[in-house]
Amino acid sequence: MIDLMLGELKRTWIQTLRYPSEVIGGVVILSAVFYGIFLGTQYMAGPSASFGTRLDTVVVGYVIWSLVLYIVNDIATNLQMEARTGTLEQVFLSPFGAPRVFFARAIASLTLRLLLTLVVIGIISLMTGSQLAFPPLLLLPLVALLLGAYGLAFFIGSLALVLKNVQQLLSLFQFFLFFLLAAPTEGWTGPAKMLVTVMPILPSTGLLRDLMARGVALDWTGFAIALANGLFYFVLGTLLFRWSEGKAKQQGSLGSY
Amino acid sequence: MSDLSTTPDDEARAATARSSAVLFQKPLALESEGLCKSYGRRKARFQAVRGVSLKIARGEVLAFLGPNGAGKTTTIKMIAGLIRPDVGWVKIAGQDPHREPEAHRGVGAVLEGNRNLYWRLTPLENLEYFGVLRGMSRREVRSRGLELLDAFGLLDKRKEPVQKLSRGMQQKIAIAVALIHRPQLLLLDEPTLGLDVEAGETVKKLVRQVAASGCAILLTTHQLNVAEELSDRVAIIRAGQIVAEQTTEDLIRQFSQGAAYRIEFEGELNEAKQRQVVALGASVDGQFIHYLPAPEADSATLYKILRTLEPLPLLEVRQDRPDLTDVFLQLVQTHD
Repeated sequence: MIDLMLGELKRTWIQTLRYPSEVIGGVVILSAVFYGIFLGTQYMAGPSASFGTRLDTVVVGYVIWSLVLYIVNDIATNLQMEARTGTLEQVFLSPFGAPRVFFARAIASLTLRLLLTLVVIGIISLMTGSQLAFPPLLLLPLVALLLGAYGLAFFIGSLALVLKNVQQLLSLFQFFLFFLLAAPTEGWTGPAKMLVTVMPILPSTGLLRDLMARGVALDWTGFAIALANGLFYFVLGTLLFRWSEGKAKQQGSLGSY
Repeated sequence: MSDLSTTPDDEARAATARSSAVLFQKPLALESEGLCKSYGRRKARFQAVRGVSLKIARGEVLAFLGPNGAGKTTTIKMIAGLIRPDVGWVKIAGQDPHREPEAHRGVGAVLEGNRNLYWRLTPLENLEYFGVLRGMSRREVRSRGLELLDAFGLLDKRKEPVQKLSRGMQQKIAIAVALIHRPQLLLLDEPTLGLDVEAGETVKKLVRQVAASGCAILLTTHQLNVAEELSDRVAIIRAGQIVAEQTTEDLIRQFSQGAAYRIEFEGELNEAKQRQVVALGASVDGQFIHYLPAPEADSATLYKILRTLEPLPLLEVRQDRPDLTDVFLQLVQTHD
């Protein structure tokens, strides 16, 4: 499994970095879109407005949104692309089984994406003066977030396996994610707070905003909830993916697009 | 030339016996039994594959032929574990690819219409990646990759991205990738499709080498001359069912029964002898005799014609044997 992980890492890095202009373009677009949002907001608020920690929370929200969006699209986009280019069926001929291969692929592309995300954070901070904190404990809610995001990725991947064309669905999902990640859920109470607990990703994004933008210490109860939430969606997503693989094999549509 | 002293029934029996003998001499790389697959629902439901059973011994090349839509690709994908059969089972070196993912260690595939490769990677990077994906260690896969590139004459191209190579080279790499983990069964779906003559010849040579190394090969192709050249046995599928399965030689020989003979001789055949030849059912045209045996006739008449020619020197006795294309067309049209 370690060899598979390293193999996937090498393949992903080579495929991405063989054409560096694509990578640079991605970083520039992500940074520019954020700067556009930032300038627009500043124009509406007036030149004397100071965003303070709100700017930092917005930066965290935006970065998480772009990261989660990438992760959620990753498996489905890869499945569709490889079905089109004709390598998908070769992947399903692996003795490791598809869920393990796609998990290894997800980890491999995540490492690359995290690095690019750090570059984007650096550029945004330089442009806006935002100062984010990176305490080591940050890793805990980040893991919970990634588990939840990969759960969703496997879920969308399952749909791509069975339904094939999920491009429209992915576009819709962007807005759903934007709502999930931009809503200031930390202040919600009562039934709305319960909703935050059971919705995917939400518990961990609140914790990340607290840690990175507001300088609040990690809430361990909140973390336990976020981890349970992440694990639940991850297991659900992988089980659904396994079922979809069987369904696609039954339909004879595994490699078609 | 075919054996002149046997009847068509003898031929068919001998063919089956020889076919079985080939199978049971070597361990089986593939066994599949009663594979069935249907698509669609209710009125739109159709049976793509109906009870297909195939066995291939190690080192044997089986050409799996059939018209478009006959069920070849569905069968191949069921064998590879990519399509689940409704009924029937598959064993690759004793393991079921639909239940045991480990069975995939025993199979390599080059699927038709697919690139089967990552175009941004070099040949060596593709080989290394797919080797690891098939369960090999990273150390082992590098030396095996270089060995295959050397054997396939692609060592000097190992650092070029695959997308910059010719179609023939890409196909050779796809076959090398399918062989990286030393599978016992290689599935080749139209391996020479779209290749120029030279690249096609190279791929044929490779297929022979791979079979000689002990790997069983299931080959589908519409180029029947390729199938005739490469295969030990032929299975022909029509509307989801196998309509013929024999050694290639026996199948062609079986269809040669009743084919016309052409006898070329030197000198002049006198009128009396010409009448004798015509009385035996043949015709004389200068220095050629044409003889079409009756469907149930044995070889006795042919020998009588040859004796009539004595003592004139014989230049050639040739039977107009059909090739695999004729056999294929006859079988497919008969079952229409």
